[in-house]
Amino acid sequence: MSLLVAERLSKTYHASGWFRRQTAEGSAISNLSFTLEEGTCLGILGESGAGKSTLGRMVLGLLPPDEGRLTFRGEDLYPKGRRTRRSWRRDIQVVFQDSYSAVNPRMTIRQIISEPLRNYERQSAQEERRTVAELLELVGLAADDMLKRPSQMSGGQLQRVNIARAIALKPKLIVLDEPVSSLDMIVQKQILHHLRALKEKYGLSYLLISHDVMAVHYLADRVALLEKGTLVDTVDASEMFESGHPTFRAMMQAAGVE
Amino acid sequence: MNVLLRVLSPARRRWALILALALLLAIVVCGLLAPYLAPHDPNLVDFAHKLEGPSSDYPLGTDQLGRCLLSRLLYGTQVSLGLALLIVSSCLVLGLAIGFLAGYAGGIVDSLVMRACDAILAFPSLILAISLIAVWGAGWKQMAVALIIVQTVYYARFVRGLVNQLKQQTYIVAARVSGTSPFRMMSRHIVPNLLPPLLVVVSLEIGWVIMDISALSFVGLGVQAPMAEWGAMINEGKSFIRSHPRLMIAPGAMIFILVALLNVVGDAVGERKGAGSPLRKKAKTSGLLETANKEVSHER
Ligand SMILES: Nc1ncnc2c1ncn2[C@@H]1O[C@H](COP(=O)(O)OP(=O)(O)OP(=O)(O)O)[C@@H](O)[C@H]1O
Ligand SMILES: [Mg+2]
Repeated sequence: MSLLVAERLSKTYHASGWFRRQTAEGSAISNLSFTLEEGTCLGILGESGAGKSTLGRMVLGLLPPDEGRLTFRGEDLYPKGRRTRRSWRRDIQVVFQDSYSAVNPRMTIRQIISEPLRNYERQSAQEERRTVAELLELVGLAADDMLKRPSQMSGGQLQRVNIARAIALKPKLIVLDEPVSSLDMIVQKQILHHLRALKEKYGLSYLLISHDVMAVHYLADRVALLEKGTLVDTVDASEMFESGHPTFRAMMQAAGVE
Repeated sequence: MNVLLRVLSPARRRWALILALALLLAIVVCGLLAPYLAPHDPNLVDFAHKLEGPSSDYPLGTDQLGRCLLSRLLYGTQVSLGLALLIVSSCLVLGLAIGFLAGYAGGIVDSLVMRACDAILAFPSLILAISLIAVWGAGWKQMAVALIIVQTVYYARFVRGLVNQLKQQTYIVAARVSGTSPFRMMSRHIVPNLLPPLLVVVSLEIGWVIMDISALSFVGLGVQAPMAEWGAMINEGKSFIRSHPRLMIAPGAMIFILVALLNVVGDAVGERKGAGSPLRKKAKTSGLLETANKEVSHER
């Protein structure tokens, strides 16, 4: 059974308010389908405004699609009728692009990383500190960093904190929405390296959303090209440079690959 | 007052703030200790001593009924500050509850609450307060309730705006994904972020409310004689503006000084919170304070 299956998803944003504008709104996602196999990384490559973040929010259970179905391990993410307990909630986690805005500036690193743990597990203070220390070491930070506040860390360090928070519950799937786009080249490499290592170690699956051809090539197993809200081409990551799709080629050219 | 502060250098501005706080504290203490500090009973009528000038027995002289002006000013501090605190804290609690409900629930609840607020906002606030008092009759309780109703709307709108902004913050979304319940979301992420901007609003609001109380009492709708209240005192003294101007000047000066001090402090709090945190530059925490300031200036 595939981990995540998207079938003919569509989503249109509506202007909210009492006086809706009558002009036609463009759809953010239309008729989009894919499957993500357990233990693999699916890269969604697309230019700005293609609908990448919209897709990410749907997979996270935050934005119901207008049409279509999303199933996670055979379970519908948006079941009809009364709200049932969302057993998949802890199995799908996220890392956002801007590491600073993804954490509450008032909290310490320890509080940030332990938030998901406190939501699902009962740990003593001592256990919790040990878990947070382990998580920090897993992402290449020091255990002492748990005492710091976000303002005392660099963007790259804070992105590691975000990754630590995302893996804290040992989820099955992590949505990575442009996880390295706001970092410099060297830090990008380190973070991508860590993400790949974590994937191998815990058998994680990733949905990697990015406009960065090289990042997708490095981390993804399969690559899907998103254009105007729909997938226009899907290839193995190893073959992506041979793809003949014009948008693929244009993005690679822009990245200086060709 | 704000302009006055801005031209000062940061070091002097700090001294101005410390001075303002010290004076404010002195006024509060004087008000609280009025029973011990006041040389006379503020309501003791004594026609033998009416309209006397300052003397050792009556440091600021007496009014048309022979009551000690200084004692009335001291007790008036209790009335003005006490009423203002009562009104502002009620507004704060109600505004937080209503604004949070509207902002967090969104949808129909939000629309209904906001339409109700808009209806109240359509009237200039003091005029609406006057109309309400006209229906209920004059008196300090009616005035307090009227001002609370009128002012809570601003707080509710303000809180709702902040909650709406906060809801879209990435870290709120991230917390939701990590399984944080609505209750914890409120207590750990939203309320701690609401309090600092609200504090700024409150410190500025107290001054305005004191003005409103004085204004309403001046026209006879608020605090009633013989209770000593500055606005009411100005009203009583206005018949003697030519012969004994101090009867109006003294309470007028008290209102001016207290409101000015509160504004200096409120402004300084706003500025410190706005520029102080290094995170503002890095993370664009959300411009909550800019909104705070905008809303406050809209209000008047
Ligand atoms: N909350 C929203 N309300 C209305 N329209 C939106 C909203 N969010 C996104 N859109 C629109 O939907 C389309 C897709 O947006 P989305 O954020 O998914 O793009 P993206 O691929 O993530 O772009 P970027 O690379 O710039 O982040 C855009 O045209 C955008 O204007
Ligand atoms: Mg995006």
